[in-house]
Amino acid sequence: MNPLTIALPKGRLLSPALDLLESLGCDVHALRGASRRLIFDDAAHGTRLLLLKPFDVVTFVEHGAADLGIVGQDVLLETDSDVFEPLTLPFGFCRIVLAARRERAQTDWRRAASLRIASKYPRITRRFFVERGWSAEIIPLHGSVEIAPALGLSDLLVDIVDTGRTLKENGLIELETICTSQAALIVNRASHALKFQEIQSLLLSLREQMEK
Amino acid sequence: MLKSTMIERQLPHGVADLYFEEAARKAQVEARLQEVFGQWSYSQVIPPTFEYYEALAAEASPQVREEIYRFPDRDGRMLALRADPTIPIARLVSTKLYDRPLPLRLFYIANVFRHEEPKASLRREFTQAGIELIGEGTPQADAEVIALAVTALRAVGLREFRLRLGAMDILRALLEPLALSETQSEPVKSALERKNEAALNDVLRQLSLPRQASRALLTLPLLAGDASILERAIKAFADNQEACAALERLRELCRVLDALGVSDAVSLDLGMVRGMAYYTGIVFEGFTRGIGFAIMSGGRYNNLLAHFGRDLPACGFAMGVERVLTALELQGNNVLSLAPEIVAELDSSPTLAQRVQAARAKGKRVEWSLRSSTREELIAFARQRGAREIWFADGSAQELA
Repeated sequence: MNPLTIALPKGRLLSPALDLLESLGCDVHALRGASRRLIFDDAAHGTRLLLLKPFDVVTFVEHGAADLGIVGQDVLLETDSDVFEPLTLPFGFCRIVLAARRERAQTDWRRAASLRIASKYPRITRRFFVERGWSAEIIPLHGSVEIAPALGLSDLLVDIVDTGRTLKENGLIELETICTSQAALIVNRASHALKFQEIQSLLLSLREQMEK
Repeated sequence: MLKSTMIERQLPHGVADLYFEEAARKAQVEARLQEVFGQWSYSQVIPPTFEYYEALAAEASPQVREEIYRFPDRDGRMLALRADPTIPIARLVSTKLYDRPLPLRLFYIANVFRHEEPKASLRREFTQAGIELIGEGTPQADAEVIALAVTALRAVGLREFRLRLGAMDILRALLEPLALSETQSEPVKSALERKNEAALNDVLRQLSLPRQASRALLTLPLLAGDASILERAIKAFADNQEACAALERLRELCRVLDALGVSDAVSLDLGMVRGMAYYTGIVFEGFTRGIGFAIMSGGRYNNLLAHFGRDLPACGFAMGVERVLTALELQGNNVLSLAPEIVAELDSSPTLAQRVQAARAKGKRVEWSLRSSTREELIAFARQRGAREIWFADGSAQELA
C-alpha cells in the first residue's frame, strides 16, 4: 500500500475538509490545534496531510508533490492547472461576482472607455471580460478587494461572495454572478496512474461518506 | 535593462549548460536508448534543426504551433526550429522513404525547441528520444510500440513506472454519431480530460442527448484499470458498432502485450482525451515515481503522413530525456563518476606512456599529470582528482585509500 499525500487549504475550507477526512477515520486532531507544523503523518491510515495556502494546493498537486488536494473551484478556475478533478465536495459553496459601489449601481459600465477592475482573480476576470468583448484594466490584489472602489483604485471589483455580508458592509452591490464554486478533490495525473488502487479506494469511501 | 556586459554572461530563459556528470548521464541514457532501439531493429534518423515554418506548423497541435520558434531566412521565407521530431520524420518518409519495404522502423534522439514555460525539467530546449513505426496499422504494431516504450523505460533504469493506455477511436466512435459542433463537444472533452464527473453530467444534460449516448459518455471516466474493464466497456457500448470494433482491437492488443511480457507496466484508461486532434487510435502516457507530469507520450496517428502526400498508418512515442534524468536522480539511480581511475605523471618515459595506452585500451580512465612536481604534490593532486592509483614517471606506482 503506497501512502497518499493529501494537500489541504488553510482558510475557510479547512474545517469542513478535516471533518470529511475525520469521517473516513483519519486522525486530524493535530491539524485542528494551533500547531505550526505543516506536515502531519498518519501512518495508521497511510496518509500524509499537508497544510498549504489554497493556490499552493494546486501547485503541489499539479507537480506531484502531493497526490491529492482539496481546493475551491474558484482557485482551479484561476490557475488553469493540469489536474484531474474527479469529485466535487459538499462544502465551500460561494459565487464569484462582479460588484460596484452602491451609488454607482445604475452606471452603464459598457460605455466606459477604460474600466479598472480590482480582483484576487485576474484570470477569471480577464476571461469574463474577453468573452464579452469588453476591455478592462485588471488590478491584481491579494486581499481587501472590497475597499478598492471606495479609495479610487478601481471602478469595479471581482470577488468571492459567500453570504454577501462583506459586500454590503463595504457599500457594494452585486452586478453579475460570474461563476459559482464549491470545494473539489483534485488528483495529480501521474499519481492517478501510479497509485491507482489507493486513489480509487479513497474516492470510493469519499463517495460513500457523502451519500450518507 | 541589463547592461550588455551582464547580458553576455547570462543565458536566455529556458536553456541550460550541461556539464560533467550531468552531461555524461544524459549521454549515457541516450546511448542506452540508442542500443535498445537498435536491438528492436529501428534505424536512426537525424532531421534538420530548422526547416520551413509551413512544413513544421502544418499538422502541429494548436498549442505546439503557438510555441514554435520562427524567424525569417535572409530571403524572407519563414523558417522554424523543430518543435517535434515526428513532423519532420513524416515529411521525410512521405517524400523519400515511401517506396521502401514497409513497415519502416525509425528512431531519433533530437533536441527540440518550444517557447513555453519550463516545467518539470523540460526547458525551452529539451531532448526527445522516440520511435516511429510506419506503414502498419495492426494491433500487433501498437503492441510493438508499447512494448518498446516499456523496454526503453526499464533499460534506462527507471523503477516504478506505468503506461496509461487509452483509445481515441473509442472516444471518436462515441462522439461522432452525436454530430456535435465544436463549441458543444469542447466542454464534453474538457470535462472528460479532467475526469470531472459532475461537470460532464451537467454538460451532457444541457446538450439533451439520447439517453444511451449520454450514459456511454458518463461511463468513460470509470473505465480505468486493468484489462477487466474491457468487458464492462463492451457491455456499456454494445449498441455502437464502431466502438465495439475499437474495443476488440484493444483487446487483441492487450493479448499481444501479455505475450510480450509488458502487461504489468500498462493500465487502461478509456477516458483519456489528450491529443484527440492528432491521434487516431491508441494513445498512451508514461509516468514514474517522483515526477508529477508524463515522462513519455505516444500513440497512433494515421492521418499525419497523408498531409505530406503518402497515406500511411503510423504509431510512435517520444520520451522527455531530461525528465527521465530527473526521475532517475530522484529514484537514487545516478551513480556515475567522472573521476580518473589512474593519475600518471607525463614525462619522457616511453614505458609509462605504453602502460597508460594499454590501460586506456582496456577502458580505464587515465589522466596525465602535466607538470613536474614532487611526489607529495602529485599524491595531493591525484587525491583531489579522486583517483585510486598514481603511476610515477620512474615506473613506481602507489594506490590511494
